[in-house]
Amino acid sequence: MNASSHTPSVTEEAQKQPMKHSCEHHAECMKIIQSILDDEATEAEKDHFRENMDKCLPCIEAYRLEKCIKESLSLKLVKKPCPQSILDTILSKVNS
Amino acid sequence: MSVAMSESITTNGYTDDLRYEIFNREFMPHIDSMYNFAFRLTMDEDDANDLVQDTYLKAFRFISSFEQGTNAKAWLFRILKNSFINDYRKKSKEPSKVDYQEVETTYNSEEASDTTYTVDLRADAVQELIGDEVANALNALPVDFRTVIILCDIEGFTYEEMAKILDIPIGTVRSRLHRARNLLKEKLKSYASSMGYDS
Repeated sequence: MNASSHTPSVTEEAQKQPMKHSCEHHAECMKIIQSILDDEATEAEKDHFRENMDKCLPCIEAYRLEKCIKESLSLKLVKKPCPQSILDTILSKVNS
Repeated sequence: MSVAMSESITTNGYTDDLRYEIFNREFMPHIDSMYNFAFRLTMDEDDANDLVQDTYLKAFRFISSFEQGTNAKAWLFRILKNSFINDYRKKSKEPSKVDYQEVETTYNSEEASDTTYTVDLRADAVQELIGDEVANALNALPVDFRTVIILCDIEGFTYEEMAKILDIPIGTVRSRLHRARNLLKEKLKSYASSMGYDS
């Protein structure tokens, strides 16, 4: 697709609509946000997410927060290597 | 599973060479993840060492019940989790049983899971937190809630794998994760506040 035949993207369409400052189904949205971030969403959940998430401020903020927490857990926590002595004990017991 | 039963399976199952091969190829690569899981469950270095060692020796003893081609990491995590519950949970430095039951009652009720639950915490504030602060917030959670977050967010298991590791239905995995994350947000919020990140 070249620039001259550009059709508005979903995001641009959404930007024309007024941003929602409260969400009438936020509890449900939170469950969907969890499924999306965990890569466990059904097609219906993905559809709901695509249609609603870029025009609802509470949901956008909730998504950012949940994503940030999930990334912090996977990236910031120190992973310790298993002590060599444990490895040696396991291998010697298994091989005896 | 009785020892006698496992021996009969072993006799009918893999050859000795194959047992060692599976152990080294499928089980040993997960030892660091197993060690970290054990440490985050017990929160004690000596207990983590014992738990990992016990789990690997059990895994070797019962290797015939491991089906080649299935998920070895999930299989090992399940053994470790069961060993933890049976042998270590009683003596671990957990928040008291009373606290735990209080939390379970609050968060298990349908109302609690259905109502909109928000913690006044911003992503920017979480971004400021260092690893130790995030780890402390995680460690402050009751062990069942801590476990689902470790399995999902740190180890990357799917809901289906988590259901098998924990012996609970997928719906329970989903709702327990939801509750665990709400609790974690509260803990993170108090860290962020104490550090002045949320102002």
